Amino acid sequence: MIDLKRLCALALLILLGSACTDPASDAFRFGLASAPTNLDPRFATDATSARINRLLYDRLVDFNDAFEPVPSLADWEQRSPTHYRFHLKMNDHPFHDGTVLTAYDVKATYDFILNADNASPHRAPLAVIDRITVQNETSLDFFLHRPEPLFPGYLVIGIVPARLIATHYPLYEHPIGSGPFSFLARPDETRLHLLRIRDQRRFEFMTVPDPTVRTLKLMAGEIDMLQNDLPPELIGYLENDETLKVQRTPGTNFSYLGFSFEDAVTRQALVRRAIAHAIDRREIIWYVLDGAARPAQSLLPPEHWAGARDLNPITYDPEKARALLHQAGYSLDRPPRIVYKTSSDPFRIRLATILQHQLQQVGIVVDLRSYDWGTFYGDIKAGRFQMYSLAWVGIQTPDIFDYVFHSESVPPRGANRGRFRSTRADAFIDRARAAPDLETKQRWYVQLQHHLAGTLPYVPLWYEDHIFIARREVEGFTMARDGNYDGLTQVRRSSPGAL
Amino acid sequence: MFVRFLITRVLTAFAVVLGVVCLVFFLLHLVPGDPVEVMLGESAHPADKEALQRALGLDQPLHVQFGQYLAGLCQFDLGTSLYSKRPIRELLLERLPATVELGVAALLFALLLAVPLGILAAVKKETAWDFGAMGIALFGVSIPNFWMGPMLILVGALWLGWFPVSGRGGVSSLVLPALTLGTALASILPRMIRSTLLEVLNEDFMRTARGKGLPDRTVIVRHGLRNALLPVITLVGLQLGALLSGAVITETVFSWPGIGSLVVEAIHRRDYPVVQAAVLCISTSYVVLNLFTDLAYAWVDPRVRFGARP
Repeated sequence: MIDLKRLCALALLILLGSACTDPASDAFRFGLASAPTNLDPRFATDATSARINRLLYDRLVDFNDAFEPVPSLADWEQRSPTHYRFHLKMNDHPFHDGTVLTAYDVKATYDFILNADNASPHRAPLAVIDRITVQNETSLDFFLHRPEPLFPGYLVIGIVPARLIATHYPLYEHPIGSGPFSFLARPDETRLHLLRIRDQRRFEFMTVPDPTVRTLKLMAGEIDMLQNDLPPELIGYLENDETLKVQRTPGTNFSYLGFSFEDAVTRQALVRRAIAHAIDRREIIWYVLDGAARPAQSLLPPEHWAGARDLNPITYDPEKARALLHQAGYSLDRPPRIVYKTSSDPFRIRLATILQHQLQQVGIVVDLRSYDWGTFYGDIKAGRFQMYSLAWVGIQTPDIFDYVFHSESVPPRGANRGRFRSTRADAFIDRARAAPDLETKQRWYVQLQHHLAGTLPYVPLWYEDHIFIARREVEGFTMARDGNYDGLTQVRRSSPGAL
Repeated sequence: MFVRFLITRVLTAFAVVLGVVCLVFFLLHLVPGDPVEVMLGESAHPADKEALQRALGLDQPLHVQFGQYLAGLCQFDLGTSLYSKRPIRELLLERLPATVELGVAALLFALLLAVPLGILAAVKKETAWDFGAMGIALFGVSIPNFWMGPMLILVGALWLGWFPVSGRGGVSSLVLPALTLGTALASILPRMIRSTLLEVLNEDFMRTARGKGLPDRTVIVRHGLRNALLPVITLVGLQLGALLSGAVITETVFSWPGIGSLVVEAIHRRDYPVVQAAVLCISTSYVVLNLFTDLAYAWVDPRVRFGARP
């Protein structure tokens, strides 16, 4: 009736035929939590793509540790408030196909992004550009619609070859840049092979979404290193493994509590301040985050050139919190009731539960609700919340304040999700926006941060550290404050004798 | 008669696929999240958002968009990924072999384990062998994949070092995910084989075979098992569909680059066209496998296609 033997033989043939893929090589293997979604820097927006694209493509400008724009592929001179001239460092960085990167490639890259028909997600901040004029192969001019001292910091998009733009070459599949790594292959979405050009060393980026499995792969030696995206308990576990080493560096991703200013409870400054004093950040950082964070006072970290270094830290003071609530007219019989929204990420729920408990200790009744990310984020943008927790990731320029706190930045025009309206904050932001130089901007932004620390549209929580974990024989990786993978340009294996 | 039966079944399957297309399309449009915002980011200018909405046809009424989507489907055009900008057809074709490979391997494992267990339980009815075999089956069906996977990794990869922890690279990488995925099926099948074989073992033709002096093994395998396998084939056909569509957890745990993990990634990224196409692909494979099972059943058992009662 049915020939089972034949059926099994056929299935076996299918398996053997399809399962024969390339065996592991001696390449460096880097574990990723999520795959880079787009290897074309004109479209990539996710953090993994941005970090991989930094290895594949060079950009005109980069940031130093104080987040000041510094020359990368080019240095620049400001010829007038609306005119910048960039000079390329020629021949330092030819494209991986051997052609020379010129000013024409820079212009083609930015012209492409500025063309609305191309739907580049990077167009919005670059819309300040009026026109780009090439002087010669090594220099070009950017003319702006209005003065913008932060402008050089916007030119961080990887440069792609003009001739490939013209031919609609699929860079997302076969990236060709001028960075320290070149593209080798992408056998499937979970594996990406790059070549470090200086020593022809192969690197394999392996996507392993599950943090436990990623940890097990590292322990089994199937990957050599990984960075971030592990729960603190796993990091603590790996720290005790003698075959591994753990490096930490302070990060800048800013976690905060946000409030609705259209809600009768959370619009009260006394309630927000009570919440700020009711949260024991240090305890949470120590016991829950395993020490891998530092308390935050503002959206920008103090080391940022526009950061405020003299903000008074928010102290954990439950008595003061209770007194503030009493002053606001609340009591144990009539406690403030707040709905607290968060995402369905298990770790975020755990943190939210702890915050809920700490707030209850001072007499705030918190109704914790977790949602699927799309629903949660949709609610936040629509202003359907009393209190929520989120994080700002990858902030580099201080114009984020304009985007987040200006009264004209209510969604969809910006990210003022709490509908915070303060004429003083608007005035500081407007003055910072109009300031002719970075020093003046810095002064206004610092004053703004003092004002925000007083009004608390956000209650700052912490900046999470970056964690790099590698096999003990892996050396030379330098961690970056923004969590980029540039350290891979110097990573090496120690000789067995050195161990 | 068989041709009529075939046409009816194919038309039914087509109607089901069409229903799935409608459901997936309209349900995804109800889910919170704007694809344009996904592509351009929250900070995009409203004018840019409107321009992209026009370019993607998202400014059209929903029924017009649905018509365009159906027209694309007729030409096998599933659209483009919002994030990677790659044609979705390419993405699916890239992932499909891995899912089929895993599904077939899991099915093989399930059959290799389930058939002997089922026979053993039926032949040694109500003995320790029977209880043992059924106990194993109960144990297997009770373990969820998200627990089974990491446990197998811990033992097979980390402690014993026999298999890679995860990823797709060679036959050895297939073992642990196939065991994980196949365990549930390997636990359902022995019960089915046991019960159908027990029925067959009491039939007259079995007594005749024994009376002819045939050895027990020949009687059970040649005469008993062959007749007992008919309902099992139906179950296997349905379960293969489930293996292909239900590998989401296993593929995620083992970083297996198949359709299941593609769906999870696409949902996380709000890449709706990819979710839409992947769900369509999964449901179509399920429907097609069901169709083949029905046809195979009708082919081997004339009572089915002629509508006669067994």
